Amino acid sequence: MEVLRAENLNFVYPDGKQALTDISISLGEGEMMCVCGPTGSGKSTLLRLLKRELSPRGERSGSIYISGRRQEELGDREAATQVGFVMQRPDMQIVTDKVWHELAFGLENLGVGQGEIRRRVCEIAGYFGMEEWFDKSTDSLSGGQKQLLNLASVMVMQPRILILDEPVSQLDPIAASDFIATLGKLAREFGISIIAAEQRLEELVPVSDKLLAIKDGRIAAFGDTRECVERLVSDETFAPYMPAAARLFAKLADISKEFCDACGYGAAGKNASMPDSEITETGVHIKPGVEEKLCEEENPCTEGRKQKSRIPLSVGEGRRFLRDTKNIFEEEKCLTARSEGKYDSELCDARTEKTEGIRKDSKVGSAKESQNASRETALEFREVYLSYERTGKDVLRSLSLKVMKGEIFCIVGGNGAGKSTAVCAAAGLVRPYSGKIKVFGKNIRDYKGQELYRECVALLPQDVQTVFLTDDINGRHPYDLSGGEQQLAALDIVLATKPKLLLLDEPTKGLDVSLAESLCKKLKGLAAAGTTIVVVSHDVEFASAIADRCALLFNGEIVSVCESRAFFAGNYFYTTALNRLLR
Amino acid sequence: MKPLEKYNPGVLFFYFLLLASIAMFAANPVMIATALMAMIAAASSYTRDGLGRACVFFFIIFVLTSLANPIFSHNGVTVLLVVNDNPITLEAVLYGVMTGVMIFSVLLLFRVFSALMTSDRLLCIFGRAFPKLGLLLAMTIRFVPLFGRQRRKIENTQKTLGLYKNENAIDTIKGKLAVMSAMTTWGLENGIVTADSMSARGYGVRRSRTSFSMYRFERSDAVLLVLVILSCTFIFFGIATDMLKTDFYPRMKLPPFTVYSVICYVLYAGLAFFPFAAKLRDRAHRAALDRVKMHGGSESSFGEKIRSMYQNETEERSTFGEQ
Repeated sequence: MEVLRAENLNFVYPDGKQALTDISISLGEGEMMCVCGPTGSGKSTLLRLLKRELSPRGERSGSIYISGRRQEELGDREAATQVGFVMQRPDMQIVTDKVWHELAFGLENLGVGQGEIRRRVCEIAGYFGMEEWFDKSTDSLSGGQKQLLNLASVMVMQPRILILDEPVSQLDPIAASDFIATLGKLAREFGISIIAAEQRLEELVPVSDKLLAIKDGRIAAFGDTRECVERLVSDETFAPYMPAAARLFAKLADISKEFCDACGYGAAGKNASMPDSEITETGVHIKPGVEEKLCEEENPCTEGRKQKSRIPLSVGEGRRFLRDTKNIFEEEKCLTARSEGKYDSELCDARTEKTEGIRKDSKVGSAKESQNASRETALEFREVYLSYERTGKDVLRSLSLKVMKGEIFCIVGGNGAGKSTAVCAAAGLVRPYSGKIKVFGKNIRDYKGQELYRECVALLPQDVQTVFLTDDINGRHPYDLSGGEQQLAALDIVLATKPKLLLLDEPTKGLDVSLAESLCKKLKGLAAAGTTIVVVSHDVEFASAIADRCALLFNGEIVSVCESRAFFAGNYFYTTALNRLLR
Repeated sequence: MKPLEKYNPGVLFFYFLLLASIAMFAANPVMIATALMAMIAAASSYTRDGLGRACVFFFIIFVLTSLANPIFSHNGVTVLLVVNDNPITLEAVLYGVMTGVMIFSVLLLFRVFSALMTSDRLLCIFGRAFPKLGLLLAMTIRFVPLFGRQRRKIENTQKTLGLYKNENAIDTIKGKLAVMSAMTTWGLENGIVTADSMSARGYGVRRSRTSFSMYRFERSDAVLLVLVILSCTFIFFGIATDMLKTDFYPRMKLPPFTVYSVICYVLYAGLAFFPFAAKLRDRAHRAALDRVKMHGGSESSFGEKIRSMYQNETEERSTFGEQ
């Protein structure tokens, strides 16, 4: 049953900017739709238009139907309850001071009675496993818990459609995948229709039924996830957004069409060779109610293949696919290509190639390490202990590490492992109670006053909004920039202090793929020019692309440090999706 | 959970209100002494952290009020000494001491009150009466620590960016002002997100919102409420008919011990010691649980026994600390 439909939606902002052009989409009950597109492509505008209360000001044409009724015809109460909306920043969406009060907020607004509120609030808290922190104040929750609370306090109003605008971009990967898993569960168990926009689709794509790709306010592709992915994975703009398994598949298909055909993995090869213009043409603008037909008519390139595309979306599927193809490979004695390392290097793009290459050359790492030994140390932690409260738990416990001059050093680790604390300590913002921190060979305590920050150490904090003191960055207010743009602008401000040691705390938060790549380039340029860079991040893909050496921080101490290829090849969880595919 | 927390905030509020007003209006030494003892017991069992420092402060207030009265009031027949032609009388001193004790015990009572009535409990009471104000308060309570934390974060970041270049007062003030202005922007900008989140969840759909609270009105609340109302009515009747009235001037005269006044004292003692009694009962209950844990599982492993012994020891230490 169709729950949401938009027909020929156009939207122009008051300043004359055409944000959306001719968007037609539809979503059935219990379906999950994933919206992707570069920053500024109009994703947020579309999502906000679908929720009446949040519709941006501007001129709209075309119509939106919610459960078969025009959006304008809905009563206030219906409009509020039928469509739920969760935004990006977990902290700011929370209204009240206690978890239970936050859950009750929406129902209070509707004037629901005490008994009914109690029942529904407790029910939802039970479902989301919030009993432990039900009585806590909202201030004391972690980022993941906060976002789950936001979701729960929308779900308590029993919406039929749930819209999420980059819900996990501010969360760490583990909290993010938990959150996405919860979304999938909601769609399956309650038949709630979900629309989620996200920058990173690695986890969202495998659970969604439909995919909508938007570019410059127009639909680039819309329809069944697998088919869309198959089409988009060869599109220049969208390829980097696609899951690693799909990208690998496309590369393989490029190299050897025959074996793909041979193993029945569809016409990816043919798709890949199609020019972009044709792809956008096949990115059909669906007329309401014709999706069924769509499957047959949209794919002229599928030839005799009547079954659905089998492009792998998740790591699991990818591994299965690789196993199957390998068998066929062996039969056809194609493996020679692999031993020559031909496609090994081709199939991985620059950022993931590294992790792969390690199987062959771990010698390079040791060579580099010996090279490091001769260099000067930029930052050194010697058995550092740190705790925030007098009687509290130690956040850093016997942390020792050495960062060489001109090196890019990455610290990865889970939530609360002490990563942020470690960089704050390196920036002299918190003091350890025991142990030594040396910056360029000098004890951090011996830096007097502002000496440490004069062209020496700079920190890009996790919350980049704390960097902006002025209201004007290149003629725009910093808060008007998107999350990713804010990140880059903040980095520019930090770099203006000309640091020799640059500390970055989660620099890729909220960055889309292309911005992450430009950040990566920028940092590499800096390192080449002699700046030492220490990055603390959850983002293993980024860390693998950028780091010379990596360290895993667990429970306040470094448990392993090594050259980054060896590091990611050896890890099982803290590693790139591609490595998980190929290990 | 503290033993009194199970009661409905409204009932507790009412209880504390009456307890304090009797202590203040009765002006009866027996009752004030009772209140003092009861509140010391309650404060030491409910709010141990920082009690010592608070007591020093309360004591200073006590001394000041005790001294102030004889200095300014020269009524009374028993002159102790004459300072600057002004007689200091025994009656004025006694009255001052009584007022001091009364203030001391009421301050302790407020301490216990604030330990029990956390923000959400107070909100539950005010939210019922004024739903809009209640929501505003809840949002403020949430926003204050958020704002403070953000300020610290901005200061830290700006420190590394060289905001406080020179260590002098002017530079510091300039820096703080810049941080404040950034805070304002941050608050307003992110306030939009909060506003969106509110309207997305139907804020303003209905004129009248419900004000939900997790606290129910249960049987035990009703029992407590009835008991409090009955005994307070009894005592207030005594106060109104001057049966409990103490005269200080010209000469101190305690009210006679009649059946009625003794009942009043007993009732008041019962009321005032209620929080402490609840705590004692709770502690006894916990001790019983510990005994079960210690001796219950006889075939438990050695490690478990050690663990339970250790647990018991730490708990004992903490209960010991509480006394």
